[in-house]
Amino acid sequence: MKRIEVKLSLAIVAPLLDVIREVSSGLGERLAAPLSIDDLDPEFRDAWTADLVASQSTDVRMLLGLFDENFFAEGVIGLDETNAEQVLRACAAVRLRLREKYLKGLGDDTLESSEIELEELEEPVRKAFLCYLFLATLQELIIQHLDATILEG
Amino acid sequence: MAYFAESSPRTTTAPQADTALALEGVWRVVVLNDPVNLMSYVVMVFKKVFGFDETKARRHMLEVHELGRSVVWSGLREKAEAYAYTLQQWHLTAVLEPDETH
Repeated sequence: MKRIEVKLSLAIVAPLLDVIREVSSGLGERLAAPLSIDDLDPEFRDAWTADLVASQSTDVRMLLGLFDENFFAEGVIGLDETNAEQVLRACAAVRLRLREKYLKGLGDDTLESSEIELEELEEPVRKAFLCYLFLATLQELIIQHLDATILEG
Repeated sequence: MAYFAESSPRTTTAPQADTALALEGVWRVVVLNDPVNLMSYVVMVFKKVFGFDETKARRHMLEVHELGRSVVWSGLREKAEAYAYTLQQWHLTAVLEPDETH
């Protein structure tokens, strides 16, 4: 089983976790990316939404679970075939919600290029944008190192 | 009878039958662009969900990125819905469209 351990800077990442937790709990019963299929049978739509929300919640719990006592002691998180796929999806969900809640004012082009002067941003947008970048970095690491593991899974 | 009716009776199908007919035929799964998901993430999802190779997955990702949408699969409605569900699980925005070329 392929496993990667990522050493993170506690000083940088720890302050972001409150925002990530807050945004994660804000997802609650809503989907990070709302359903866009208009002609679904209403019962079918409700069932889909319930299943997708449950799956999203499980993924997000897996992401938040990375930042446990071990992380706060050593600054290390571990990723392998048991959590990579869920963490990857959870990062996408939280990033979508971060945009919805804090980052819409930056504009989609700016957000897509991520070319933003951090010093020019004010709180809470600055911290939300740092979370957005951090989760993207986590996704890149997973895709770079565990892509084959996810595709085989 | 003429007193109560302004026109000849029409043959109509029950709503359920209308729905069934509307869902027949070939459907397209279309992925729409969003400014959040990483290009590498979208490529990986296409590989995982549709079994595309790297080149095909990248081509579709670039279509989504540059044109705002890409048709990633077409076929029966039931399977199209299953793909749309899985894409939704990965937080990609997908819509279903009837493929009128068939």
